[in-house]
Amino acid sequence: MTAADPVDRLLATARGEPVDEPFRVTGVMVQYYYVCERELWFESRNLEIDRENATVVRGTRVDETAYSDKRENLNLGMISLDLLDDGRVVEVKPSSTLTEPAEMQLSYYLWYLDRVADIQRDGVLAHPRERKREPVVLTAERKDKVETAIGGIHEIVSQSSPPPAEEKPFCDSCAYHDFCWC
Amino acid sequence: MDRNYHVFSDGRLERSDDTLRLVPDDGGEKQYIPIENAEAFFLHGQIDFNTRLMSFLNDRTVALHVFGWEDYYSGSVMPKRGQTSGKTVVNQVRAYEDSQHRRQLAAAIVRGSIHNMRTNVVYYNGRDHDLDDIIEELEAAAARVDKELPVDELLGTEATARKAYYRSFNEILPSEFQLSQREYNPPPNEINSLISFGNSLVYANCVSAIRATALDPTISYLHEPGERRYSLSLDLADLFKPVLADRVLFRLVNRNQISDTDFETELGSCLLNESGRKTYTKAFEETLERTVEHPTLNRKVSYQYLMRLEAYKLKKHLLTGEEYDPFQRWW
Ligand code: SF4
Repeated sequence: MTAADPVDRLLATARGEPVDEPFRVTGVMVQYYYVCERELWFESRNLEIDRENATVVRGTRVDETAYSDKRENLNLGMISLDLLDDGRVVEVKPSSTLTEPAEMQLSYYLWYLDRVADIQRDGVLAHPRERKREPVVLTAERKDKVETAIGGIHEIVSQSSPPPAEEKPFCDSCAYHDFCWC
Repeated sequence: MDRNYHVFSDGRLERSDDTLRLVPDDGGEKQYIPIENAEAFFLHGQIDFNTRLMSFLNDRTVALHVFGWEDYYSGSVMPKRGQTSGKTVVNQVRAYEDSQHRRQLAAAIVRGSIHNMRTNVVYYNGRDHDLDDIIEELEAAAARVDKELPVDELLGTEATARKAYYRSFNEILPSEFQLSQREYNPPPNEINSLISFGNSLVYANCVSAIRATALDPTISYLHEPGERRYSLSLDLADLFKPVLADRVLFRLVNRNQISDTDFETELGSCLLNESGRKTYTKAFEETLERTVEHPTLNRKVSYQYLMRLEAYKLKKHLLTGEEYDPFQRWW
């Protein structure tokens, strides 16, 4: 089957149907789509990043320890998400800046559960540092937004070279910083 | 993660709980060497080690660079890389096989290398030395570097420039330390042996820098792959020799910190002895730790990190098609 539409291709890939060119989108790719398109391109190529970078280490640590007692990890092919006891999908963010990327990552999980597994769930965005939790529900509007993002991601990762580096406020804490700017 | 440790004595290097222990053959005191922050161990003496040590170093991603007979670089034991990237290697090979692309990279390396030699000569020109003619020769060589030239001609241009460059050593160094002629294997005089030793340290550090990327160290552009084991290191080392090895040499010799008592001269050979090697590596390691303001990273970086950045730059070029600008000393 050849599906021209990225969303169809993604769904076919996720459902294990035969596809000429499988198309995968991970949660982190959705996040990067909103943070930095260049970073998204690097991620899609599995480009090795500097694990010693302090920010990366910090981000990982918060994620690993927050709510570790009451959540369960679920691996669903191209995505891997965390469920709370009550069945809601939780996404933990180390800081409350850049809320949209985290929110869209979570929306993507909800969309994926809905479209691939036919499971309807609600989500919660958690900021452990600020002891804040925000509900995220998959509205029709969010569904549209997710599908538009999938199209946008497809366009970027299909390019043979990444979008050029542009200085952004979070470049300083990005794992690709030295790679981009050397 | 960037400290180099040099071991000069003969003995046994072993794991001892979470550190390394050096047990010297001469019955001297055992030394404990912290492994945190270690990038690589440089073994200059006769050292025994076992597989237990190897897996420990592998876990901590620390490399061993081995210097064998007469202190020539003889090889490295590299930790398994955390990540390998098939895509990177495929692109590396593609660039090699596309002769246009290979020439372009080889030309860039030669351009950077000549620039860095020239910077040294310019630095000493006018400080009681008249090196104008050598600068002219280097500039003439640089003008001939063109990405349309076949790789062997690029190598030839590099060699011509290097010959002119080495003539400046006779001017820069005191009369008892004259190079007269650069020869290899075995180095017949003091300066030759200092150059060889310094170059092999630069080379080994480039091996470490390349390991930090997913680049394959055996696929190279200026030098022929497989000419030696890590030929990509030879490519990168050419850029850094003038900045690291040669500057250390000039400094040590001109300040009399190295003298003829630091060498062992035998029929047809002249080599640094242990005290000479210690003096040299100390100054070399200090140089690696020096920092310089980086024009685009907006922070200070060490000379050692410049080699890592060079590997990043090459990798970036190969994966993104963005231009590769060779390292050229800017300060
Ligand atoms: S350093 Fe800046 S431009 Fe480069 S990937 Fe990171 S955020 Fe994007």
